[in-house]
Amino acid sequence: MLKTRLNFAIIAVLFAAQAALAATPAPKADAAQKQELSGFAAKDMPYDKGEAVLLTWPSGPADVPGASYQVLASSGGAWQTAAELQFPADTKLAADFELPFWAWDRRAQAHAVQVELPGLFPDFKLGDEYKFKVKYVNGKVTAESPEAQAAPRPNLFNLARLNNLVLLVLITVVFFWTVSHAKRKGGLFIRRIAGLDAIDEAIGRATEMGRPIFYSTGIGGMSGVPTIASTAILSEVAKKVASYDTQLKVPHYDPIVMTVCKEVVKQAYTEMERQDSYRDDTNFFVSQDQFSYAAAVDGMIHREKPAACFFIGYFMAESLLLAEVGATTGAIQIAGTDQESQLPFFFTSCDYTLIGEELYAAGAYLSKEPMIQSTLKVQDFGKAFVMVSVAGGSLLLMAGTWFKWEPLVTAIRQIFKAY
Amino acid sequence: MSETMMIFGGWVAAGLTIFLFSFLYKDNPFFKIAEHLYLGAGMGWVFQTMLFQTWIPKVWEPLRAGDYYVLIPSLLGLTLVTQFFPKISWVSRYGFTFIMGYGSGLVIPLTISTDLMKQIGGTISPFMVSEITRGNATSLLNAAIVAIGFICVLFYFFFSVEHKGVIKKASNVGIYFLMLYFGAAFGNTVMGRFSLLYGRFDDLYKYSGERFHYATFVILGAMVLYFIVDHFRTRKPAVEEEAA
Repeated sequence: MLKTRLNFAIIAVLFAAQAALAATPAPKADAAQKQELSGFAAKDMPYDKGEAVLLTWPSGPADVPGASYQVLASSGGAWQTAAELQFPADTKLAADFELPFWAWDRRAQAHAVQVELPGLFPDFKLGDEYKFKVKYVNGKVTAESPEAQAAPRPNLFNLARLNNLVLLVLITVVFFWTVSHAKRKGGLFIRRIAGLDAIDEAIGRATEMGRPIFYSTGIGGMSGVPTIASTAILSEVAKKVASYDTQLKVPHYDPIVMTVCKEVVKQAYTEMERQDSYRDDTNFFVSQDQFSYAAAVDGMIHREKPAACFFIGYFMAESLLLAEVGATTGAIQIAGTDQESQLPFFFTSCDYTLIGEELYAAGAYLSKEPMIQSTLKVQDFGKAFVMVSVAGGSLLLMAGTWFKWEPLVTAIRQIFKAY
Repeated sequence: MSETMMIFGGWVAAGLTIFLFSFLYKDNPFFKIAEHLYLGAGMGWVFQTMLFQTWIPKVWEPLRAGDYYVLIPSLLGLTLVTQFFPKISWVSRYGFTFIMGYGSGLVIPLTISTDLMKQIGGTISPFMVSEITRGNATSLLNAAIVAIGFICVLFYFFFSVEHKGVIKKASNVGIYFLMLYFGAAFGNTVMGRFSLLYGRFDDLYKYSGERFHYATFVILGAMVLYFIVDHFRTRKPAVEEEAA
């Protein structure tokens, strides 16, 4: 009981002291006069694309509950403001700013406000200079800062993404190390991937039956990782097709992917010294509309009854439409995509399915080249990094919050944050 | 829209829907009509989208406004067309090289940011608990299951290490997590597909009314009749062959 009263007395004293401190520097309520806010500065927002300005001014005891700030901006004409630029005086502090500790000083006793100019000025132009001021309001007491000018400009380097760069450099170093290691050792161990081992079986079956092989790279563009991985597998499939003299058909959704695949298949035939067997219409364009493509390829599969179907690349809702028709024709089907929402459909309708990362590993697995195989080692390094980070990060974060080590918690959260 | 056009539209919609569904029975000329119409309409749609949403606002209008910088990407894009002319098809490599380089440059930082940083951050953030209470104990347990599942799934995707011993056990646990997810995703998508199917059935029901002159029933009846006739028509040669 005594302890509770004592606690209450301490809290009451602290509140009284805070009120007294807050009252001292704040402009007097009965004065109803305008005062000047000092230390107000405007500068280009660092690490952005050039559409924002950073406003800073010192925080202090005047930032009491009930008081508020209003930021005003002008391109030369009338002063503009927005709802998000009017806020309580004890908010929008430097410590709350959304930048990591290596790019921003959170300890500064200041207000920091990022003003997005295109939202305020519809005729915003890069490089134009804008004027800013901030108004303090606490009942009848108002204070205004002097005007400050700033011109936003785009920044080449985003320091907030330094964590990404460090990881990229680390991965690059590991890549070069594994390449040299693979060259010295002449190959690396790769575990068995059933879906890729079945490629020989599928092509052999097509050769025996004298039926074509359908290979779809999906509906992804050439910048997509699954499409790039798919072209690597197509190269290996085409080599085997060329050596067995089987018919290959590659219907395309994207004309750029088609052109790349044409080169890939042509190169494969050349490598197998079967240029005479190469046909330019192996790769052909169908449609760039998702379901038109699916309908057309379904029709072709149904009529031509291929012995093997490969659906490897980026697939969305058309995955089941394609794979189901292939299954009804009795073709051996090998699918692979990194679209986890489509994988269940491939599982149910295909004989073998490459799950996500297995697709990326396919090129290295099939080519057996030490140089390419070493990329798998890099991928595994990335996974090991993630596993260690998750295990270690979870423990450190829990310990940090449990023992109230605020800097540790902030550091871990910001290191593993995508800016 | 006039009533006649509305009825015509209803017949077209009901007809194309039934034509496409007829594929479930077997390949037939009606399906081929719908397939080729869909293909042509799809290409037409893509062409007009490219024309009105890309070419006119991003090339034609800036050029008319005197912004000649758009000529650089336009020329790079035009190099791809040289594929049609074997003698100068090598020029297209400049365009493709740019596309590949641009794509890789875009994807690599994005992958590091989303697949690595965001993934790790999202998995560890639920562990920020200052004390274990009845309220957060279950969420903490949930977070621990997610983190363990995440690590085990990653073990499954280790390629350069032989899967035996502890790694094999962890990877097996990872497969269970994967299958749980795939099962849930499958059920979710199937439900979505069924709702699309109900939509088509609802439309067919609507077009089977008097207002649309029983379009669904007439088309369906005509097709059934065709299949019956076609069945007997195509059956004859097979019998003759057997007799021969």
